[in-house]
Amino acid sequence: MTRGAAAAGAIVCLAVAVGLHVSQDWWPAPQIDDPGLLYVRSPAVATRAVLSYDAIAADTYWIRALQHFGSERLAPPEHVRNYSLLYPLLDLATTLDPYFSIAYRFGAIYLGEPYPGGPGRADLAIQLLKKGIAAQPDKWQYLQDLGFVYYWHLRDYKSAAASFQRASELPGAPTWLQPLAAVTLAEGGHRDASRTLWMQIAKSEEPWLRDAATLRLTQLDAMDIMDAWKQAKDQGYNPPIPNDPSGTPFVPDPATGGITVSPASKIYPLPGQMQPPS
Amino acid sequence: MKAVRAVAAAVFLESVRDRVFYNLVLFAVLLIGASILIGQLTAGQDVKIIKDLGLAATSLFGLFIAIFVGINLVSKEVDRRSVYPLFAKPITRAQFILGKYAGLLLTLLANVVVMSVALYTVLFFLARGVPEGVQKAWDAPAMDPGLLVAIGMIYLELAVVTAVALFFSTYSSPMLSAVFTLGIYLVGQFNSDLKHFDTIVDSAPAIAIAKASYYLLPDFSRFDIKLQAVHGIHVSAGFIATTVGYAVAYIAALLFGAMVIFSRRDFK
Amino acid sequence: MAGAAIRTRELSKDYHVGFWRPRPYRALDRLSIEVAPGEVFGFLGPNGAGKTTTLKLLMQLVFPTSGDAEILGRPVGDVGVRRRIGYLPENPYFYDHLTAEELLDYYGRLFDMPSADRRTRVSATLDRVGIGAERRLALRKFSKGMLQRVGIAQALLNDPEVLFLDEPMSGLDPLGRRDVRALMLELRDQGRTIFFSSHILSDAEALCSQVAIVAKGRLAASGRLTELQEFAVQGWELVMSGVPAEALERVRGRARRVVTVAGGRYVIDLPPDGHPEDMLRELTSAGATLVSLTPVRETLEDVFVRRVAEMGEGARS
Repeated sequence: MTRGAAAAGAIVCLAVAVGLHVSQDWWPAPQIDDPGLLYVRSPAVATRAVLSYDAIAADTYWIRALQHFGSERLAPPEHVRNYSLLYPLLDLATTLDPYFSIAYRFGAIYLGEPYPGGPGRADLAIQLLKKGIAAQPDKWQYLQDLGFVYYWHLRDYKSAAASFQRASELPGAPTWLQPLAAVTLAEGGHRDASRTLWMQIAKSEEPWLRDAATLRLTQLDAMDIMDAWKQAKDQGYNPPIPNDPSGTPFVPDPATGGITVSPASKIYPLPGQMQPPS
Repeated sequence: MKAVRAVAAAVFLESVRDRVFYNLVLFAVLLIGASILIGQLTAGQDVKIIKDLGLAATSLFGLFIAIFVGINLVSKEVDRRSVYPLFAKPITRAQFILGKYAGLLLTLLANVVVMSVALYTVLFFLARGVPEGVQKAWDAPAMDPGLLVAIGMIYLELAVVTAVALFFSTYSSPMLSAVFTLGIYLVGQFNSDLKHFDTIVDSAPAIAIAKASYYLLPDFSRFDIKLQAVHGIHVSAGFIATTVGYAVAYIAALLFGAMVIFSRRDFK
Repeated sequence: MAGAAIRTRELSKDYHVGFWRPRPYRALDRLSIEVAPGEVFGFLGPNGAGKTTTLKLLMQLVFPTSGDAEILGRPVGDVGVRRRIGYLPENPYFYDHLTAEELLDYYGRLFDMPSADRRTRVSATLDRVGIGAERRLALRKFSKGMLQRVGIAQALLNDPEVLFLDEPMSGLDPLGRRDVRALMLELRDQGRTIFFSSHILSDAEALCSQVAIVAKGRLAASGRLTELQEFAVQGWELVMSGVPAEALERVRGRARRVVTVAGGRYVIDLPPDGHPEDMLRELTSAGATLVSLTPVRETLEDVFVRRVAEMGEGARS
């Protein structure tokens, strides 16, 4: 066989291979509907499997956690959201790197987030944070986050206050934690206390923490508007239906007789508006 | 000692001519590529991840060099018979072993130094433009000199691996040496598990072997302080000193062992 | 300085052959020889006779099973003595990635030569063995003959008193062999001792004062070459061209055989006492031209086989 013939043969075969590869768009392989593959679930196995490269492995799990969470949360509304990998990925990342503070804090905020914004598993958030506290008992941010989870997702104001108090006693803790503990104990569940909590978080150095706080503050403002509207209606006025702080009009809420945030709004769902599918 | 220097220089020159240092190009591409790409992926963790990547790559690339050059250090000269004219000259077999070891250490040192410079350069550019308030909240500064301690320990680990590879190279074929060296490296990573093998397995002979391995085989997990360095966690001077001492003692034992084996070896 | 330059005493080497039940294979059996200073000593034998093993024992590349050896009065392996010797291994291999210059510089550093001195010596030695501009090429590009020259160069680098050469002519073309022969004679004239091994008798003839013959690991004979009966001439082969017909007829009777080769050449096979010089003179004065005159002897192999049989050896396992 001459060199030219062999070269031509190589090109033709490659073209055929590429063509067959591209053609899988017309004859697709059967789709398997699964939330994503996690080959190594056990942190004990992972720690050993990665030898001394735990930090970089933790980073890859962190990136995967972000990707997983982001793609589920930002998917089109028809998509059935499934956050089942979030906790395992964060757990792996924090076992491989016990000092991976951002992973703990991300879990604190979003693991407890009710469906469809998150998996709605405040218990897992607490589990993760307790692991972080065991690794770094002096980090006040973890105790603050623990308090946050108790307050916001579990409405356990006594535990929340206790966590804020413990946090305020740690070295480097900001001065507003102490009064926050007091306020929580006294008026936990009141909107003003919540507003105080979120306003502090809005000053955080982490951009996504700030974004979460802004969203919550906007929601609290919306709830103020809803209460005011209901009050006006009960008093006999016929107030027009306003827009919520994000610009989308409110919709009537048949359950309460008041108004509530529309599913089309950016600040939907309000806390408590939807529960995760079982 | 002039003979040792001559052999060491020869090993370094051979590494250069064998293009060992091209691995640095790959390292640079990896680091620069990652620093460009990760911005979108990591929610503000760029600096940490680049540090992790830089340290992990320094360790991994160095490991490849230590093993793949190390296993050939002696065996190649014996197989190719370049030892014949060599040992007719005034050089002892012990000086040969020491020179080979020193040469590969020199190669690894050059490699690690260049990688460190590259890492710090990338970190410098990454940290530029990040507001100071954010930088203050980081566990450790971007151009943290503490990284150098971790890098130093990585180099120490490579020095031990090299000694292991050289030891096997004095009497095994390259293939066997690679298997043994890699095997010892892997087992050495699980050193803490070996200590507590009785909690994992019931068999008494297995536990005995594990305990013996725990004591005798080099504990490579000790040299890994990458996590601490990246998070700015202080590592005590006592720990560093004992680890350095451990490494030096172990290396010396391996080199003496290599000299013992090599000094009575027939070159067929 | 009295005393042998090289001496071995009952030097023996066993190798172990076979993996499961290694049996000893005696590569060298109780070799005892002595080489006086200034001698050119030929260590002859067929391939596999133990020549290379002996040299390796002398260089301490392998360790003896029993017996011992000395070089310049010091036991083999004495590092100081190595400053005064040079060694050329058989089919030498060096380092692919170095140039000839760099190789010699490396070896020069092992001799602790100061750098300016080293440069001069390296250059002079390479000149002496006939390596010119190629000295800057990587050794992987060298032909076998050139590698052999480099090998000789590195053996001469430190101006040794005693030279050990294992098959020094191997890989060289006739011109190269002539050069090496001339070099060895020159070295001898300078008073150095040369110990060289070969399986080619004619090399030994041209150079040696003493020889030792080994076969199957044992010393078969030793002494002055001319005194060894084994190498007595058994005949002469005289090749002439342009022999006039009647001159040929005249000398035919004194020859054992005359063969006509194409191109007007004749191969005249004479008995040992056939006085080839006379016949040569006779034929050249009749107008013929000499092509070659070669002594006919037993080959080294024939000698060895016979000697070994004479020594009463049965089959060796």
